[in-house]
Amino acid sequence: MNCRELVELLLDYVADELPADQRHVLEIHLSFCPPCVTYLETYRATIRLMRQLPPTPLPPELVARLRSALEKRCGEPE
Amino acid sequence: MTDSIPFAPQPPPRPEALFAEHAPRIYSLAKRMLGNDADAEDVTQDVLLQVLRKLDTFRGDAAFPTWLHRVTVNAALSHRRKRAVREERTGGGLTDDIPENGHAHPGIVKRWALPPDRQALDRETQRLIEAAIERLPEGYRDVYVLADVEGLPNAEIGDLLGLSLPAVKSRLHRARLMMRDTLAPHFEEVA
Repeated sequence: MNCRELVELLLDYVADELPADQRHVLEIHLSFCPPCVTYLETYRATIRLMRQLPPTPLPPELVARLRSALEKRCGEPE
Repeated sequence: MTDSIPFAPQPPPRPEALFAEHAPRIYSLAKRMLGNDADAEDVTQDVLLQVLRKLDTFRGDAAFPTWLHRVTVNAALSHRRKRAVREERTGGGLTDDIPENGHAHPGIVKRWALPPDRQALDRETQRLIEAAIERLPEGYRDVYVLADVEGLPNAEIGDLLGLSLPAVKSRLHRARLMMRDTLAPHFEEVA
């Protein structure tokens, strides 16, 4: 396995869905290839960063528009 | 909301509660998929009104989050199609300049300096990430946002977008590689 082939398997590797034989070969490659170890870390970090992303703030004009539309639809008095 | 008194009459949902609970998530998903404020706002209003109409059906139902994702994704895709017609173009989709194979790291890969896992991202980092997502080609962006931002399983994403599981996984992997490459210069440790 070379570095290019390793990169192609990262999705299944980080999801723990790689067949045992491929996982074994990949981990042997990692044991002697520091750049691939770092690449794997940054691939995982990319995934982790997205989990930390908060919701996009609502624009104030949208807040007013939604309140108006919902109150009209609910037919509730103020 | 409580489930302790089955069949007890419940008051109609108040707009404020509906708004506070669902609007930010709906808007975020639509904005990230569409990369367009005006369309995301239209989608948010459309979806919230649908939620209001159907809320009694889903009161306390575990299927509600799945339904909400489906309605939001469908509304976003519908707006994108309308926009494409308006602009008399195909509306993007997959581009030909994304290599299906052959992505590999260069010989030197730098480590990243990142905030701790549980620490809130600062505004500049959020802006960088949102801009990187917006630059993804649409067909990749949809899968990426649903998988890595919304946290949906690949099978559910395939169902929502009408894609096979291998297609979802392939697009997700390409999108992650593009995101990693875009973000790398901002997070690499200074030697």
